[in-house]
Amino acid sequence: MSNTDSVSIAPQSVRLFFQSFFKTLVYFILLILLLAGAYKAFPLVVDALFLIVIAAILTAVFNPLVDRMESSGIRRLYGTLLMFGGIFGIVALGVVKGIPTLLNEVGRIKDIIQENSATESLNSMMGDINSRIAEYIPGFQLDLDLISSLSAKFFSQLGSVLAGALDTLATFIFILIITMFFLVDGKRMTKQLIGMVPNRYFEMSLNITYKTKQQLTNFLRGQLLAALGVGIQSFIGLSILNWIFDTNISGVLLISTIAGMANMIPFVGPFMGMVPAIIVSLFNNLGDPIAASHFYYILHIIGMFLIVQMIDNNIISPIVVSGSMEMHPLTVILLILVGSQIGVLGMFLAVPAWGISKVVIQEVYQGLKGHHLI
Amino acid sequence: MKEKVNISYPLFESFKDKLRPKRSQAQMALSQVNVFSRLSWQEIKIVENAVHIRNYAPGEPVFKQGDPGSGMYIIIEGCVGIFLDIPQQAPKQLSKLGDGDFFGEIALLDASPRTAAATAIENSTIIGFYRPDLMDILKTKPALGGKILLALSEVLAVRLRSTNGELVKVSRKLEGLLESGANE
Repeated sequence: MSNTDSVSIAPQSVRLFFQSFFKTLVYFILLILLLAGAYKAFPLVVDALFLIVIAAILTAVFNPLVDRMESSGIRRLYGTLLMFGGIFGIVALGVVKGIPTLLNEVGRIKDIIQENSATESLNSMMGDINSRIAEYIPGFQLDLDLISSLSAKFFSQLGSVLAGALDTLATFIFILIITMFFLVDGKRMTKQLIGMVPNRYFEMSLNITYKTKQQLTNFLRGQLLAALGVGIQSFIGLSILNWIFDTNISGVLLISTIAGMANMIPFVGPFMGMVPAIIVSLFNNLGDPIAASHFYYILHIIGMFLIVQMIDNNIISPIVVSGSMEMHPLTVILLILVGSQIGVLGMFLAVPAWGISKVVIQEVYQGLKGHHLI
Repeated sequence: MKEKVNISYPLFESFKDKLRPKRSQAQMALSQVNVFSRLSWQEIKIVENAVHIRNYAPGEPVFKQGDPGSGMYIIIEGCVGIFLDIPQQAPKQLSKLGDGDFFGEIALLDASPRTAAATAIENSTIIGFYRPDLMDILKTKPALGGKILLALSEVLAVRLRSTNGELVKVSRKLEGLLESGANE
């Protein structure tokens, strides 16, 4: 009995061994193929995710407006189309009007730099600044070669930046299209996604999604309103400087827009916002001997931006930014450094992305605790 | 007195049947709940798009006692038991709810912890209508949201009145007991 058993069991166990061996082998090959595929597709997936994340952020910004239109009886699809018609109109106007102006401005500055007289003028002005600072700080010496090489590098890269801008415009339009779909069908998509959550975590997931969406909307709306405030104030301030002090800043609207947008980056943003104004004013005044000997107009610009910051920090931001992100300055600097690896957009998104992640983590933790899951 | 004569027209009846809009099970269940009973079919359809239809296996909890309340449930099909957890004892079944019954509507207004647990007794299909769904309706369809809130307030008012009545009865009984105790 036992002999027959061992005879019959042996081939079966060998067969089972081979079966499981081949099964494991197939799984292993499939896993390697999957990993190789994922590795190959990784950049594409990252790109797609990046677009989706930006579209989701824009959806959170525009959603209240579409909701408002829906509440007044306009169907969601028509409301979205109406809003995007407006946005595309503004973008088209900006492209048609703004890009030639910007190209002219860059070309003009390039011409100024290429002229020897302008270089001399720049050098004399730098020398003047040098001597005046040296009056207060003995032995102070500006490295003129370094400044001229840095400015040459900056302007040589402007061309490639502009070429990249067209590519960015195409990506931006693509993001707007995704945003449009999110705005029209986002609720259904969210509902279907949450529908996949097991019953045990369903209520919690729904609450977390809702609260996170609310926090995110409040945060982004606040940031955008603060940026708009800074933009408008900068526009008024720069116009006053041009009018009263004859600071000679061209492209005030563009510079104010940049200042407003840069303001969304805490700590570093306000300084980034004043740089274009100073550069434009500096180059516009290069040929002027009076301006060359009186560089106080730069201090006027800095003073104006400091006043704008004071108004923003003490009046506008406390009112409009309800969900403020309390972050340590070091965290912000580290985030901006990490974001700068992706580019300017990365620098813009690093701080809000961290703020959003903080909100999500807080809500998930509170939800899990509330439902006694941790 | 004039006698009413009923004449049936089979062709007309079948035509009327075909024209009659088809109502989903969820719509029918929603229309029977007092919170939605005064809504038009068009409005019920909007609510249907906002709610979540979930399936529960026997023994699966819908929510547990102490969980933060976030919405109401309407049973389309199946059976749900409401249980009270008593420390160091088996849960006490307070009630058994079936098709068309609803529970937890106060949680739409208040996130305080659930006072009892709800567990599916058999395979159940349940509609979940949660606070975020109500808030969304209030934001996008304020008139409809207002109607739902008014109905919810009415439910609360009825319960408050009944609780007041019970309280009066209990206090009278207590007064009676105190008086008889004093006489003795």
